[in-house]
Amino acid sequence: MELKIKKIQRALVDYNGNTSVQTGFPSPATHYREPVIDLNQALTTSKEATFYVRVKGNEWRDFNILDQDILVIDRALSPALDTLALVIEEGDFNVIRITKLKSQLELWGIITYIIHKAI
Amino acid sequence: MIAMVDCNSFYASCEQVFRPDLKGRPVAVLSNNDGCIIAKNKEAKALTHIPYSEPLFKIKHVLEANDVTLFSSNYTLYGDLSDRVMNVLRTFSPDVEVYSIDESFVNLTGMQHIDLETYGTQIKEKVVRYTGIPVGVGIAPTKVLAKLANRISKKFPACKHVFVLDTEDKRIKALKWAETKDIWGLGKKHVERLAKVGVFNAYEFTQLPLSWVRKEMTVVGERMWRELNGESCITFETLPRKKKAIGTAKSFGKKLSDLATIEEACAYYISETSEVLRAQKCCCTYLQVFLTTNYHSLYDNQYRDSKTITLAVPTNNTFTLISEGKRALQMIYKKGYRYKKVGVNLLGLIPENQVQGNLFATGQSLNTTLIKTFDTINNRYGKSTVSAGLSGTKKSKKQWELIKEERSPRFTTQWGELLEIGIIKKTS
Repeated sequence: MELKIKKIQRALVDYNGNTSVQTGFPSPATHYREPVIDLNQALTTSKEATFYVRVKGNEWRDFNILDQDILVIDRALSPALDTLALVIEEGDFNVIRITKLKSQLELWGIITYIIHKAI
Repeated sequence: MIAMVDCNSFYASCEQVFRPDLKGRPVAVLSNNDGCIIAKNKEAKALTHIPYSEPLFKIKHVLEANDVTLFSSNYTLYGDLSDRVMNVLRTFSPDVEVYSIDESFVNLTGMQHIDLETYGTQIKEKVVRYTGIPVGVGIAPTKVLAKLANRISKKFPACKHVFVLDTEDKRIKALKWAETKDIWGLGKKHVERLAKVGVFNAYEFTQLPLSWVRKEMTVVGERMWRELNGESCITFETLPRKKKAIGTAKSFGKKLSDLATIEEACAYYISETSEVLRAQKCCCTYLQVFLTTNYHSLYDNQYRDSKTITLAVPTNNTFTLISEGKRALQMIYKKGYRYKKVGVNLLGLIPENQVQGNLFATGQSLNTTLIKTFDTINNRYGKSTVSAGLSGTKKSKKQWELIKEERSPRFTTQWGELLEIGIIKKTS
């Protein structure tokens, strides 16, 4: 039997009522406040399954992954063709692009974002 | 129905998530101060001649000969992975009782219409996929039976770590298999008493008359009897009980004689415990400090003493508590001994908002602002970013801090300690 259970999700942006903090004219923005952008919301789906990994060296330059980059890894995702994945090969970590869905693939997690420092 | 989900060799599993090279190899985790082994994985358990609680230096050669990988305990990491596991469990039922760092009861009441074996397998697979931690699942009508089902799920490879105890046949078979000493919640004394009347397994126990059990084993035994007979009587507790006392006592990395250094460790422990006190929104009425030499040492002169101070006004203020702690320590400290451990207990806890003021107490409110700022900074930038001067500097702490030589990085809580992958690791 197929079961799909999902947590009820809160609205992503909720209206945040507030009182004015100005001493002179009350702020016209008081009733329009929203939570500021949070990278966790954009870059991760489930926090239980999200891990961050740092890359040392330029071994995976072909995938646009450079030295000191941080990989956002989502373990909740299923492997799909053409996605980047962190896998285990002979007891060591490796980054691969999934070209064939072989069952013997020892998957650690799917790479969802590559955080690259620009300065 | 209730599911008991527990993590397989939890501490070792946490380490192995980030060390795939250790798959299938023996792994052990050490106690605070690297004194002895507190956890082993399956492969290390198979090496039967490695005892728990034996001083490490005595068994080091055996560990080396068997290529056992040792880790100092990394509770920051274990705590985070535990939270992740429990949060995944909450996607299966809104009612999850976190029983310990690696065990939870999941309430499946009202889910009788679904195939529980499939559901249990889904729980097991989702937890390991999301967190990397393997778990076992036992499902049964009561907590005690669920615990037993969990045990069975691990003992018999055919179960594949999921066992549903849902029929009368299975229940009786399970009870006959379980020895009394393996029943969750049945203490050693009760097991001995049962042995005297010829009861050695759980089935024989459930066949005793309830009146006898009640008389000889009090209400605790009665509850076990009822639960094993399929009648659920241990309720779900989704809220943790509030602590009545908060304490910490850790051995120093090496023996200390100097009062100033001991004061530093004492202040640090007070700082740690008072943070917990504030998180729980409580104040303490008494502060106890104790100091002891190493009682196992044959060469040292022995001394131990403790002092309990009644605070003028119950407080959770780190600075007030540190200065009181210092006073207590000075009263019990004697020159000329090599001390092994200092301990701190915060007692007589009362809710923050029920503290009775004192006519002569002043300056409390000023300190409250300071302490809030203190907590805010440490929450944002990490533990001990700011700390009371007396609790020592990074450098001075080296004199008394616990030895954690083999601690793995805090992969999930510190940017500076992330898992690193790449060529560098390969050549090393």
